[in-house]
Amino acid sequence: MSDGALLRTERLTCDFGALRAVNRVSLDVRAGTLHSVIGPNGSGKTTLFNLMCGEIVPTDGRVYFEGRDVTGLPSHRLPHLGLARSFQRTNVFGKLTAYENVWAAAFARRTPGALGFLRRASEFSEVDEEARRLLGEVGLAHKLTARAETLSHGQQRALEVGVTLASSPRLLLLDEPTQGLAPEATQQMTRLVQSLVGRYTILLIEHKMRIVMSISDRISVMAFGELIAEGTPDEVRENRDVQRAYLGARR
Amino acid sequence: MNTSLLAGAVLNGMVTGMLYALMGVGLSLILGLLNIPNFAHGVLYALGAYVMISGAKAFGFLGGLLTAIVAVAMLGAAIEYFGVRRLYRVHPDYILLLSFGLSLILTESIILVWGPVGITFQPPALLTGAIDLGVTAYPKYRLVVMVVTTVLVLGCYLFVTRTRYGAIIRAGIEDKEMAAALGINIRRVFTLTFAAGTGLAGLGGALMSPVRGLLPTMGIDILPFAFVVVVLGGLGSLPGAILAGLLVGVVQSLMTAIWAPGADASVFALMTLGIIARPQGLLGQR
Amino acid sequence: MTRGALLRFGLLLAAIVALPLAVRPVVASEIWIFAIAGMALNLIFGYTGMLSFGQATFFGLAAYTAGLMMIHWHAPLLVVLAAGTVVGALAAAAIGYVCIQRVGTYFIMLTFGFNQMFFFIAYKWTAVTGGDDGLPGIPRPPLALGPLAIRLDSSLRYYVFVAAVFLLAFYAMKRIVDSPLGVIFQSIRENPGRAAAVGYDVKRYKWIAFTIAGGFTGFAGVLYSMMFGIVPLESISWIISGDIVFMVLIGGIGNLYGPLLGAAAFKWLSEAISVVWERWPLILGVALVLVVLFLRGGLVEAFRRLRDALGPRARPEPGAKLPVGIAAETEAGS
Repeated sequence: MSDGALLRTERLTCDFGALRAVNRVSLDVRAGTLHSVIGPNGSGKTTLFNLMCGEIVPTDGRVYFEGRDVTGLPSHRLPHLGLARSFQRTNVFGKLTAYENVWAAAFARRTPGALGFLRRASEFSEVDEEARRLLGEVGLAHKLTARAETLSHGQQRALEVGVTLASSPRLLLLDEPTQGLAPEATQQMTRLVQSLVGRYTILLIEHKMRIVMSISDRISVMAFGELIAEGTPDEVRENRDVQRAYLGARR
Repeated sequence: MNTSLLAGAVLNGMVTGMLYALMGVGLSLILGLLNIPNFAHGVLYALGAYVMISGAKAFGFLGGLLTAIVAVAMLGAAIEYFGVRRLYRVHPDYILLLSFGLSLILTESIILVWGPVGITFQPPALLTGAIDLGVTAYPKYRLVVMVVTTVLVLGCYLFVTRTRYGAIIRAGIEDKEMAAALGINIRRVFTLTFAAGTGLAGLGGALMSPVRGLLPTMGIDILPFAFVVVVLGGLGSLPGAILAGLLVGVVQSLMTAIWAPGADASVFALMTLGIIARPQGLLGQR
Repeated sequence: MTRGALLRFGLLLAAIVALPLAVRPVVASEIWIFAIAGMALNLIFGYTGMLSFGQATFFGLAAYTAGLMMIHWHAPLLVVLAAGTVVGALAAAAIGYVCIQRVGTYFIMLTFGFNQMFFFIAYKWTAVTGGDDGLPGIPRPPLALGPLAIRLDSSLRYYVFVAAVFLLAFYAMKRIVDSPLGVIFQSIRENPGRAAAVGYDVKRYKWIAFTIAGGFTGFAGVLYSMMFGIVPLESISWIISGDIVFMVLIGGIGNLYGPLLGAAAFKWLSEAISVVWERWPLILGVALVLVVLFLRGGLVEAFRRLRDALGPRARPEPGAKLPVGIAAETEAGS
C-alpha cells in the first residue's frame, strides 16, 4: 500500500437538485506527495473535499482511502482511519483556548476505554505534549491560553492547521490554508505546509498560483465541477484548457 | 358511544383543532424567522382573551376583538423591538429565555389586573344558542369560531405563499442576510412578523373566550399544545401546523370522549410517535 | 489545587456551614438539592450547549420512584438514592436518545414535550401518584452506615445530610468536568461540525451528557421527595424545569459554581419575597429578562466584573501545567 494511491476517487459526483457541483471526478493521490487541486471559484473544490470527508454524501461515485471504501462514512470516522481536513473558513472551537482546541483534536485519536475517562484531562501527559508540540510547530506557542476567537485571522488559520494535524493523520486535506492572509503570513503558512511534506501526504486546495506551482508534486485542475487537467506543475502550466479556464490569469 | 356524542366530539375537536392551528401558524412564523420557540405565545393568547373581555365591556363584542388584536400585536412588536432584537447576534437560546421570563411577567400581570379567579364570558346575543345539525345540536358560536379561524388560517397561508410581502417574509426566513442585502428592511419585517404572529395568538384567545372561559393559567395550559402542533407539523411549515393542529385537536377531543384521563397525555404520545416515525414532522423539510 | 480554586472551595464550605443560620434549614436543604439539579443542567446546557426545558421529568420520576419504594417496601435510604439516580439516568437515556436526534429549537421543544407527557400521566394516574394532591406519607429513613443508624428526622439533621451528599455530588461533577469529557462537551457546544471532523461521535457524547445529567437530577429528586414527606405533583411539572433553568442562568452558565449561586439566589429570593407578595414570580420574570439582556453570565459574571473593577487579575504563569478546561474556569460560557 505504500506506493499506490493513498486516496482514490472514482467518478465522484454530487448534485444539488439540478446543479451538478462535482461531475465524475476521478483522481489519485499518491502517498508521500503534495497534490494540489486548483480551479476558479465555484469549480467544486471544497465540495470535493466535503464529499471525501463525509460532510456530504455523494450522488454517485466512490472514495477509497488506503484501498478501503470510505464513501459516505460519517465524518467522525475519518480521523480514526488516518485522514484529517482543515476548512476554508476557519472552523475552530471559538471559546476554547488554542491549547484546548488542539488538545481536543489530539485526544480524539487517543480516547481511552470508559475507565480512562475517570482521569483528569490534565493527567494525559502524552496529549499535553502533543498539543504543545503542535502549537509550537504552527507558531502559536505564545498563544496557548488565548481563546481562539481572540486570535488574529492569521493566527486562526495557523490554529486551523494545528487542529487538523492533531489527528495524527496520514493524509491531510488542507482547504486554502492561506485564505485571507497577507503576504508575510502567506509565506509563513507556505513554509509550514512545505515542512509537512514527506511526513504527511497532502491534498491541498489553493488559489495562489505561485505557491501551487512551487511546492506541488502533482496538480489537478477543476472547472465547473469537472477535472479538466492533471499533471506536474509544468504540464499544467502549458495546458491550453487550463489557460482557458482561468481566462488568461497566469501568475 | 352514540353518534351524537361522537359527532359532538369531532366538532369540538375541529374547533379546538383550528384554534391550535391558529396558534401553530403564529408560532411557526415566529419560529421560522427567529428560530426560537416563543414561550410567551401562550400568555399572549391569554392576554388576548382578557383584553377582549375588558374591551367588550367598553366597545361591544367586535370592539373587544379589535382591541384585543391591536393590543397584543402592539405588545408583540414592542417585545421584538426592545427585547428580542438585542439578542439576535447572541444566541437563539437567549431569545427563548427572554420569552420565558416575559411569560412569567405577563401571567402575573394578568392576575394583578384581572384577579386570580376564573371568568366566564358570554358570546354576543346573536350567536348564543345551538344549531340543529341533524346528527347533533351544536353551539352556534363555536361553529362561527371554527369558520372564522379556518378563514384566518387559510388567509395566513395564502398571504405568506401568494403575496409579495409573504415572499419577503419567506425570504427573510430562508436567508436573512441575503434578504437584507437585497434592500429589504429586514428589521421591519421581523418586527411586523413577530407582531402578526403574536396578534394571531391574541386573536385566538379573544375568539375562544366564550368557549373556554378565562383563567390566568390558560396561557400556560395551551402553550405545550401549540408546541406539539408546530413540532408535529414540521418546524416552519404553515400547512404542517394547520394539519397538525386539526389532528391534535381531534385526537384530544376524541380521547376526552373515550377515556378522559388519557386525553392530554395522548397528545404528547402522538408527538413522540410522530417524531420517531417522521423526524421532520408531517410536512416539514429535511 | 490552585489558590483560586482553594479559595472558592473554602467559600463553599463556609456557605454550607453558615446557610442554616441565614435561612430556615428546610430552605437551605432545598438550595443544595436544586444546586445538584442545576449542576446537571449546567452540564448539558453550559458545557454541551443543549438547553433542556424538561429536567423535571427526571427529578419527578426519581422522586415518585423513591417515594413509592419507601412507602411500599420500606426501602432504606441509600437504596432509594441509588434507585432514583438509576431511574433518572435510564429515563434520560431513553428520552435523550430521541431528543438528541434533533438540535436547537426542536431539541428544546422535545424535552419540553416529554416533560408535559409525564406530567399529564402523573396528574391523571392518581392511584399511583396521588395526582394533584401528591404522594403523601413518605418517611425519612435513617442513614444506615454499617452498625450505625443515624436518624434524620429534624430538618437540621436532614440539612447536614443533604449538604454532605451535595458535596459528594459536587465532587463527582467536578471530576466529570475535569475529565476529558469536559473539553469534549465544550467542543461540541462550540462547533459540533468540527468536533465530528476531529473524530468525536457528537450524538453519542451528547447522549452521554444527557444521561449523566439525568442521573444527577434523579439523585436530587430523591432528596426532594424526603423533604416534606410528600412528593408534590409540581416535582414533575415544567415549573420545576423552568426553575432549574432560571437558577443556572441567573447563577452563571458554564461555570461549576454558577448553579450554586443561582439556586441560593432563587430560593432565597422566592422565600423572602413570597411572604410579602404573592405575585413574586413577576420579580423572577423581571430578573430573568434583565439577566438575559444585560448580564448573561449571571451572578458569576457580576462577581467577576466586581473583582476586576477592584484590581487586575493574575495571569497564569507560562510553562505551568495547564489544566484543560481553563476556558471554563476563567471565562465561562459568556
